[in-house]
Amino acid sequence: MKRCARILPVYAADTSGVCSALYELGGMTVIHDASGCNSTYTTHDEPRWYDFDSMVYISGLTETEAVMGDDQKLIDDIADAARELSPRFVAVCGAPIPMMVGTDFEAIAAAVEEETGTPAFGLNTSGMRSYLAGESEALETVAEKFCRTNVPGTKELSANLVGATPLDFSVNGSVESIRRWLADNGFGLVSCLAMGSSLDEIARAGGAHVNLVVSAGGLAAAKALRKRFGTPYVAGVPVGAAFSKLLAEELRSAAESGKSGAPCARRKNGARGGLAVVGESVFAGSLARAAELDLGEPAGVLCPLETAPELTAPGDAMIPGEEDAAERFARAGGVVADPLYRPVCPDGVPFYGLPHEAFSGRCFRKSIPNLIGKNLKRWMKR
Amino acid sequence: MIKLAVYGKGGIGKSTVTSNLAAAFASLGKKVIQIGCDPKADSTINLLSGNRVTPVMNYLREFDREPRRLEEIAKEGFGHVLCIETGGPTPGLGCAGRGILTTFALLEDLRLFETRRPDVVLYDVLGDVVCGGFAAPIREGYASEVLIVTSGEKMALYAAENINTAVRNFADRGYAKTRGIVLNRRDVEGEEEKVRAFARRAGLPVVADIPRSADIIRCEDLGKTVVEGDPSLPVSRRFFALAELLLGEGEADA
Repeated sequence: MKRCARILPVYAADTSGVCSALYELGGMTVIHDASGCNSTYTTHDEPRWYDFDSMVYISGLTETEAVMGDDQKLIDDIADAARELSPRFVAVCGAPIPMMVGTDFEAIAAAVEEETGTPAFGLNTSGMRSYLAGESEALETVAEKFCRTNVPGTKELSANLVGATPLDFSVNGSVESIRRWLADNGFGLVSCLAMGSSLDEIARAGGAHVNLVVSAGGLAAAKALRKRFGTPYVAGVPVGAAFSKLLAEELRSAAESGKSGAPCARRKNGARGGLAVVGESVFAGSLARAAELDLGEPAGVLCPLETAPELTAPGDAMIPGEEDAAERFARAGGVVADPLYRPVCPDGVPFYGLPHEAFSGRCFRKSIPNLIGKNLKRWMKR
Repeated sequence: MIKLAVYGKGGIGKSTVTSNLAAAFASLGKKVIQIGCDPKADSTINLLSGNRVTPVMNYLREFDREPRRLEEIAKEGFGHVLCIETGGPTPGLGCAGRGILTTFALLEDLRLFETRRPDVVLYDVLGDVVCGGFAAPIREGYASEVLIVTSGEKMALYAAENINTAVRNFADRGYAKTRGIVLNRRDVEGEEEKVRAFARRAGLPVVADIPRSADIIRCEDLGKTVVEGDPSLPVSRRFFALAELLLGEGEADA
């Protein structure tokens, strides 16, 4: 029964990560799958769906097409739609059926690009990984394919926000607060990958002095930007009073020195016996560090999602399954997690519900707090 | 880097040709990787003195997790050829084609090519291009050229034609192209004539003519390729000639 979830739901899938990351960029995203897949995304994982038009489509894959490997129909359908809608780009990704039959999305995208003249790329999603894997691949591709090389550096100190999607930040004003926080700390914003910025703004990302990576899904794109433009990155979300100040200093220092770093992972204590923060590693790590600084409590991260060694601190742990979560919760001094984790938290261990859109979707959307720059004491008390 | 996929009818001698070619490349000082893409997982056995490397699929089945280090699923054989086998699912279950794709993704995660930096990569593929998984070795980023092994037998030539057609169908996708035909003789009547006629029709060169040889069988009984067993034999020289041709240092015999 290893990794069998009896109580907990799963996080949003990689296909949702792709759609969410590309949603505002004016491209056309096609999920190659049977009908219904798009509805999962739009109903549960996309809070912008009814307020903001975007070209997200499903191919309507049939059993016969899957068995026959009829890629040409998909290519023709996409090409027809692209000619009609004139998207800025076409992204093609897949769900479990194309993964099983080995659909080659990069080859399909190349054929679409050749037929339509519209830039196209394939993403190797399978519906079997979390939203972070899809977001990561999508944003990395955007950074590689659309960020221009002939962009002059900005005169004033500037940054890009990398790895922002509603799946981690919802639509509760957190991303806008991070933008304000950047401005308050003397940073101009070149672009945000990928909320609130157009593809043209993102194309100028190479002109920024530093990149602020706000989720593990943004790390690969930040690395691509470092490789292409030499821009350093700093991983962290400005939550908590003291940590947001410290993060601003780290960001300034990285812009000057050119050295990348992950202040969200620079923590003293692990999860054992202290406060355990569950979730995406950059946000959870930032919250744990903020708890250390604002509350003076040891805190660590329990990570149920894909992450990278540089985003984790000693004592942090992966919790790939429900049993791992329950076991770790029992040893923690308190747990900060999405409310849907509450049933696996033992009685007697204080539980602080912090809804995460990628986990509980719209269930608690209205109560997702905006913690940017705020002292954690007040929130924990509440 | 030379990246070759070897296709051909089941039982035609693909593994024999691939292993001997790997041994010849290695003897010429090249750093070689051979990846067997067949559930039988016996492609590299004659490079490993009759021993076997743990196939990737077997590893996943046994340990219920992905390998963390290349050494867990790769073994060095004759001439330091790095031997890897995809293996396959439990016979009668699962999807062997998907197994190849999973193995390739895993090898990418383990940064096989970046860390090993080979001069030559050989993919020894099961029989025909029957589904997406078995076309994986000819996708962009893997093999750039295909060798088709055939004898003069009717069904071997039929399979060779199918393989060539499949490869051509992928031309607009940037997949591998057919480099040529390896005639692996079975000594059937009019063999050379039949194979050369096919080659002409397909517009392909015959890049090697491997005679039926008791020496190959004798060496394989000892767990060796004939190139390792006795590199001076005429049949071994044919493999060296093919390796040199592919390295751009020789001429096709067609």
